[in-house]
Amino acid sequence: MIKVKFWGVRGSIPCPGPHTMKYGGNTACIELRFPEVNRHIIIDAGSGIRDLANFMLANDLPKGPISTEIYLSHTHWDHIMGFPFFVPVYIPGTSIKVFGPVTYEDEPLEAVVGGQMKYRYFPVNMGELAGAIEYRRLKEEPLLDLGDGITLSTTIINHPITALGYRFSFRGAVFCTAYDTEPFRNLFVTDPEHPSYDELMAVEGEEAAREQNQVLQEFFTGADLLVHDAQYTRAEYEKGKIGWGHSPIEDAIASARRAGVKQLALFHHDPERSDAQLDAMTQVYCAEDGGDPMRIFFAREGQEIIL
Amino acid sequence: MNDRKAKLDKIRVFVDKMPSLSTTVGKVLEICSRTDTAPNDLNKVISLDPVLTGQVLKLINSAYYSLMNKVTSLTRAIIMLGLNTVKNLALSTAIIRCVGQAKKSKALPIKEFWAHSIGVGVTAKLLAAERGLPLAEREEYFVAGLLHDLGKIPFGDEYTEVLAQVLKTQEPLTVVETRLLEIDHEAIGEMIASKWKLNAVITDAICHHHTPQAVQPEHLSLVATVALADFYVCLFDIGYAGNRFPDETLLPLLLKTCGLEWSAVVGLKAAVDAEITKAEIFLQV
Repeated sequence: MIKVKFWGVRGSIPCPGPHTMKYGGNTACIELRFPEVNRHIIIDAGSGIRDLANFMLANDLPKGPISTEIYLSHTHWDHIMGFPFFVPVYIPGTSIKVFGPVTYEDEPLEAVVGGQMKYRYFPVNMGELAGAIEYRRLKEEPLLDLGDGITLSTTIINHPITALGYRFSFRGAVFCTAYDTEPFRNLFVTDPEHPSYDELMAVEGEEAAREQNQVLQEFFTGADLLVHDAQYTRAEYEKGKIGWGHSPIEDAIASARRAGVKQLALFHHDPERSDAQLDAMTQVYCAEDGGDPMRIFFAREGQEIIL
Repeated sequence: MNDRKAKLDKIRVFVDKMPSLSTTVGKVLEICSRTDTAPNDLNKVISLDPVLTGQVLKLINSAYYSLMNKVTSLTRAIIMLGLNTVKNLALSTAIIRCVGQAKKSKALPIKEFWAHSIGVGVTAKLLAAERGLPLAEREEYFVAGLLHDLGKIPFGDEYTEVLAQVLKTQEPLTVVETRLLEIDHEAIGEMIASKWKLNAVITDAICHHHTPQAVQPEHLSLVATVALADFYVCLFDIGYAGNRFPDETLLPLLLKTCGLEWSAVVGLKAAVDAEITKAEIFLQV
């Protein structure tokens, strides 16, 4: 069994207020619990991780020191900003492993994530944390054995910096993430009249984009739950958001459907999206259709799903 | 024997800090420094520099991919990782090369060597087209052609004597290299290819473009094409990489493997020249 709980579902920046009470205003944070083997995994350390920390202090700490693993989809700020507010890092005896991709640069994951814990940004310096924190950089990995029967695959998704999709499997249950990402597309000039047109690049670029979209679709094939980037509608996407690294809802639904996904959580809602809008969009995109075996919903803070 | 060991050690040390070709580095810097780099320009400027191409692909593979999914094309790397990542990789690699360019062979003028490498890359790509190979495969032929002579870069000033001997005795270059230096550029190329973890077929093009009879059958098609391109470029004096008198006895095997007549190869002259000119204008050599 995998128990999934959403602690933050927003993209870009926290957006608390009267218009986001229902779906929540915290940025990305998802909790996975594996009760049979007593393992705990967190995906992303957006602002939602603060409430998760409170929950863990009340419910887990009394049973013994906290041990968890944090997998970062990437290191953009909305996905790491909650890390300094994850209280267990200040408690001696806590053990945390932080995994995530790093875009090509000299700094290791520790400096990228911990870089926000400098006196100029935050009153506590990273070196002052009491918990034992280990960092490990992840690449594209076909299969990692996480022990206790949990396995993980990762795949590179399409975002302005390196971002990874995760696929966790445990006793036949499969949980996948694919955010922040937008469909791969040919970046090369395709107009033969353009002065820098190159036939090889144009053709291979087309093929590579198509194949990478196929690779991602295969990555989440058959998932019991897929959490997919759905920040924009197709109309919004095409009106100035191409290349920002976020998907049109329509594309997320179409590729999840082709991949035979059982439940699709639309995720990383735009901070401007109100509860009323998300409710209205639910009517458009998630209407129950007798013949559709896939359940579609806009992810909501506090929502729990058992796989 | 000790003499040979000392020479090899010297070459190994050099391979470890292998420099790029300075001719293109300036252009790389210029293109990558723009905030609005066009994907086409980036792809082109990196792929026209054999050393940089190898290094960028090596970095991409070691930084982002496990052993199973290797990327062998810049076009794909740009689509997958995005323009900025590849741009920054190229930029930092080029800068490191500029700073670290401690030594290069005075015997082979770098511009001439570059022209030879580009010539073989372009010719190999055109030969692949002539053979009717699919468009998507042709980039690998271009890259293999560009990189085939990497093994010559680590040679120091002692190479001057090799080049002089070639002109005097009119023997193939590898024969003279082996006689005077006890190692040839295919063997050194193998060291570089292994250090840079280049893929098996490009490695074979580097290690066997003068010995295609020794290559494994599934790589023969590409290696023979590169060898034929090299033969053509040497014969028509496009650039200069030392091999004034290529081994003619290999020609029938190469033509047969490629399924081409020599007249068809020669018929590509105008297209080859045009492609090289395009590359030269782009790089302002």
